[in-house]
Amino acid sequence: MKLFRNCGNFFLGLPAFVWLLIFYALPAIVIFFIVFKPVDSNGGIGEGWTLQAVCELKDPSYPAIMWRTFWQGIVSTFVCIAISIPICYQLARISNVKIKNFFLLLIVVPFWTNFLIRIYAWKVFLHPDGALKHLLVWMGVIPQSTMLLYNQWAVLAVMIYTYIPFAVLPIYSVAEKFDFSLLDAAKDLGASSFYAFRKVFLPGISKGVLTAVMVVLIPAFGAYLIPDLVGGKDSHLVGDMIARRVFTDRNLPHASALSAVLMIAVFLPLVAFIWFRKIFGTKSPDDAKLQLKQQDTKQRLGSSLLFTSDTNVSQNQQKGEEANE
Amino acid sequence: MKKIITMGCIALLAASTAFLTSCGQKKTVLRIYTWGDYFAQDILDAFEEKYDCTIQLDEFDSNESMYAKVKAGGGGYDLIVMSTYTAKLMYEQGMLDKMDHSKLATVNKYFDKKYEHLTLDPKLEYTIPYFVSFTGIGYDTEKVKDFEPSWAMFEREDLKGRTSLLDDHREVIGCALITLGYDVNETDQAKLDEAVDLANKWKKQIAKFGVDDTKQSLASGEFLMIQTYSGDVLQVSMEKPSIKFVIPKEGTTVTFDNFTIMKDSKNKDLAYEFINFIYEPENAVKDMEEIQYVLPHTVAVDMVDEDIRNNPAFKVPEETFERCHLLIDLGDDNAKFLKAWDRIREE
Repeated sequence: MKLFRNCGNFFLGLPAFVWLLIFYALPAIVIFFIVFKPVDSNGGIGEGWTLQAVCELKDPSYPAIMWRTFWQGIVSTFVCIAISIPICYQLARISNVKIKNFFLLLIVVPFWTNFLIRIYAWKVFLHPDGALKHLLVWMGVIPQSTMLLYNQWAVLAVMIYTYIPFAVLPIYSVAEKFDFSLLDAAKDLGASSFYAFRKVFLPGISKGVLTAVMVVLIPAFGAYLIPDLVGGKDSHLVGDMIARRVFTDRNLPHASALSAVLMIAVFLPLVAFIWFRKIFGTKSPDDAKLQLKQQDTKQRLGSSLLFTSDTNVSQNQQKGEEANE
Repeated sequence: MKKIITMGCIALLAASTAFLTSCGQKKTVLRIYTWGDYFAQDILDAFEEKYDCTIQLDEFDSNESMYAKVKAGGGGYDLIVMSTYTAKLMYEQGMLDKMDHSKLATVNKYFDKKYEHLTLDPKLEYTIPYFVSFTGIGYDTEKVKDFEPSWAMFEREDLKGRTSLLDDHREVIGCALITLGYDVNETDQAKLDEAVDLANKWKKQIAKFGVDDTKQSLASGEFLMIQTYSGDVLQVSMEKPSIKFVIPKEGTTVTFDNFTIMKDSKNKDLAYEFINFIYEPENAVKDMEEIQYVLPHTVAVDMVDEDIRNNPAFKVPEETFERCHLLIDLGDDNAKFLKAWDRIREE
């Protein structure tokens, strides 16, 4: 019976697994293979094996572009999370369901418009003769010659704008389940509001925050379209470099080498994420409560069955399950 | 009740999809791969109606990206419109089908031999010329003061951050080479280095490198001056008359975009018909008036609307023609251009 249930799970998960295998894992493996292939000048892949593409990664211009990609990714992730946490805190505290749904709707609404059109809206917003520019010049914040568009700050702003909903949603889903009476309890025990927020609320939503970090950081590393449209001559990221190696240089091994570096760079935080979750996971109040409950039951069971040891209890439970099945 | 409505909707959707696909199956599909905004929609519609077929039109933004996709086995295209130097490369790869001139009666009747020297294939064995495109400067006459028709305009500091160059290694380095008085296909390293230095001087003042989106930025006033192709500016100037196109006095690059038929095409006859159809005088006129490039056509060019025809950016005067140079594929020497391009983009 248990086997059957496992089989059921297996078949339910099968389509997703096959999908990931064919459209994600296999292409990724192919990329790692192409890295070690020689290039042929007509844009194909040559015979045999070579380390040429890996050696070419030593190109002196790469550290700068890699660095730009990473700091832009990390800064945009950090800002997204910093903006999302207070939003989710307030959102989760709203008791009126209608109002809450309305605000949630506002967060999802941008998805109704095509991503590309939203970027073009930013181009209008940051236009060199646009209202924002005139306002800032009038206020004396920037001189007339400053360009709002086509630099890395424009890229950063649009990236943050684009990724905020992706950060809000996972954090909100955790914050919604957070028991806000814990904050009151902390305050009763003398904590200031901010201290309670920091020491009780933040650890409580840490899982959601970590998910949000992954959901924002990974696409931010691979960003291509945003730097291409609002970025300038010096603000392209690794994604653009990969595209140029494929289309202009017709050098697939070199492009694959860059992609592989990017993949590894994304994979490492993922491993760190899983590792973090192992550590932080048990510390979150939800889990702690669960543990307390389990201990509680065990103790009660223990006291009612004074003479039965823990192992006996679990054996009995197992027997009971089997009987049920 | 809700359920019934939902089910009804789904059934309707399913039925309409089935209906549509069954319709599509009856007609042959002509698959064309071309630059963005490169055929007048009316002509495509008329062709579909006349030959009872469907045209599937995909667009690319550079010869290189088109080549990369087709080379990787993508597409299954019947007809690809590409620049001459890429056509040479694909011909050498054996990817192009030899033109059967017995099926190209209209083209043979109307092709203007005056343009022969601008193509690498004067007998039109593998390519049939479509539009001539000149690279030049598009600018806003109201906002750029003291304009001079010269590539040196890109060094002007008062235009800092409001100009763009093409995101194309051959065009940018080519125009730098021409400005220095060298050949556009120069492969001598010392001369290329000089061109890189010049292009880097231009780069200091520009906002970005781009192809298709920069003409929109010129129209919206983000950019005041861009390096671009003639027809693109003429299209934009229809919306905003203050925008003008000039060919710099130093000279520029010129290229033909050509019809090529792929060796693995399944609808070669229909592809021939399409090329003939474009060369029909009334279609050629309509196409030129909308896309604003010149077709090497003996009759149609003089039938184009006078306003467009008299614009020197459309029908380039003979003396300007002499300053236009043809880009050719450089084979292995292309790597030198790519290295040089990296030095421009990354410095």
